[in-house]
Amino acid sequence: MSNVALGGLNKSFGELAVLDNISLEIESGSFVSFIGPSGCGKTTLVRVVAGLETASSGSVLVDGAPPAVARSHKRVGLVPQQPGLLPWRTVRANAHLLLDVNRAANPPDAANPNTLLREVGLGDFMEAYPHELSGGMQQRVALVRALSLHAPLLVMDEPFAALDEITRSEMRSLLNQLVEGRGVTVLFVTHNISEAIALSDRVIVCSPRPARIVADIKVDLPRPRARDIDDEPRFVELCADVRHALHGAMRP
Amino acid sequence: MKRHSIAPLAGIVIFIGLWEGFVRVFHVRKFVLRAPSSAVNYLWKFRTDYLEAAWVTVQHSMIGLLLALLIAIVIGALLASNRFAERATQPILVLVQVVPWIAYVSSVVLWLGSGTAPALFMVTLVCLPAFVFATVDGLRSVEPATLELMSSVNASRREVLWRVRLPSAAPTLFTTARFNVGLALAIAYYVEGANFAKEGIGAIGRSAASSSDRFAADRLWAAVFSIAVVGISALLLLSLLERSVLHWHAAQRTERP
Repeated sequence: MSNVALGGLNKSFGELAVLDNISLEIESGSFVSFIGPSGCGKTTLVRVVAGLETASSGSVLVDGAPPAVARSHKRVGLVPQQPGLLPWRTVRANAHLLLDVNRAANPPDAANPNTLLREVGLGDFMEAYPHELSGGMQQRVALVRALSLHAPLLVMDEPFAALDEITRSEMRSLLNQLVEGRGVTVLFVTHNISEAIALSDRVIVCSPRPARIVADIKVDLPRPRARDIDDEPRFVELCADVRHALHGAMRP
Repeated sequence: MKRHSIAPLAGIVIFIGLWEGFVRVFHVRKFVLRAPSSAVNYLWKFRTDYLEAAWVTVQHSMIGLLLALLIAIVIGALLASNRFAERATQPILVLVQVVPWIAYVSSVVLWLGSGTAPALFMVTLVCLPAFVFATVDGLRSVEPATLELMSSVNASRREVLWRVRLPSAAPTLFTTARFNVGLALAIAYYVEGANFAKEGIGAIGRSAASSSDRFAADRLWAAVFSIAVVGISALLLLSLLERSVLHWHAAQRTERP
């Protein structure tokens, strides 16, 4: 489990300001979604936390240390928007990829990717190649690849954006199932309101670029989350809250 | 499937048949063009000589090709990570690629003498640029998201090179190798014929072309036939290798003739 602390974070690419004075405390073991209009900078925000981008000013701490330290200890599991599987590796080998490199930093309690693959329903596809899988299955491999690090922090950048609606809701409950009880902190970027509510303990609403935090909404739905959580009145209320905050942020 | 494997064979049979018929019907002068049957007869009669010569040519061309590939991978890996070095090297490589090798090959033979050394040197040198360009392009063709994934766990440059970049370069390298096979054979054949060397198919071809006895044409066309067999075998082997190494690649997935 990781806690993440952001203090007065600013980021600009040349003239273009992307993040505007972001301060945030994320307690360990929580699932936090970042939602905002596309191009607002939410992806940049989580990339800074993952150590893939450096802040222009302000502080970022992952478990009290800079992101580069967390990265070098393989304490960040990345799930990108595209699964990014290597076409010449089998499902099994793709799931092992992150454990195969920089081995010195492998945690002693790294999860067995084979077990995880079975857990996400890919037990019969271990020797298959990525081109033989559907988009949803590919993204499940990407999920296993990140989880196998046993990293206390998962950074997921719109991982289900390219999937169809049915696969998407399946992936949603699979992710809940995988994360609940694993005690991992998750930063999740999305532009889908119901996805954010169904998965998160907390939803951070961002303004258009440069991203500011305009709302910080606590999701007080019980865990484990039921598959049909979407039908609960409280779920609908929370969706409305997020939508209002988003609309408020869109107004000049 | 059956039909597919018969098609290329049928093409060759028809081609040879037309050739044979053309030579017989129009009584083409002996030295200009031989009927395939008489060249093949001659080839069969002196098969051990031609086999020995072919083996020499195979070594010259294929070892040269392999050397070019290995050197190109090393150079390519260096260039792919350094834009300045790439810009500085490019004119040299382009020069080697565009200046016809046949224009300066005699100087190289004069310098390195006859036999294996100039053949290997020329094949390696001339096949190098295309391999280097293919390596650089291939190494760079990796998706940024994949590189990011690797850097999210601090994978070293070497790990990225071996596990991601080089496999990504394999398809372009195979395509380039197909082009280079023909080039390598032409160079090996020519250099073997230069400077009175006595080994290789090129040596037989050259001596046949410059003599006027009544079997000269047969000797020449038997040489042409044997280098054709070497070339086709090399391409077939390359295809088999490609199919097993690149089975994951889109181009290998559809049924091919």
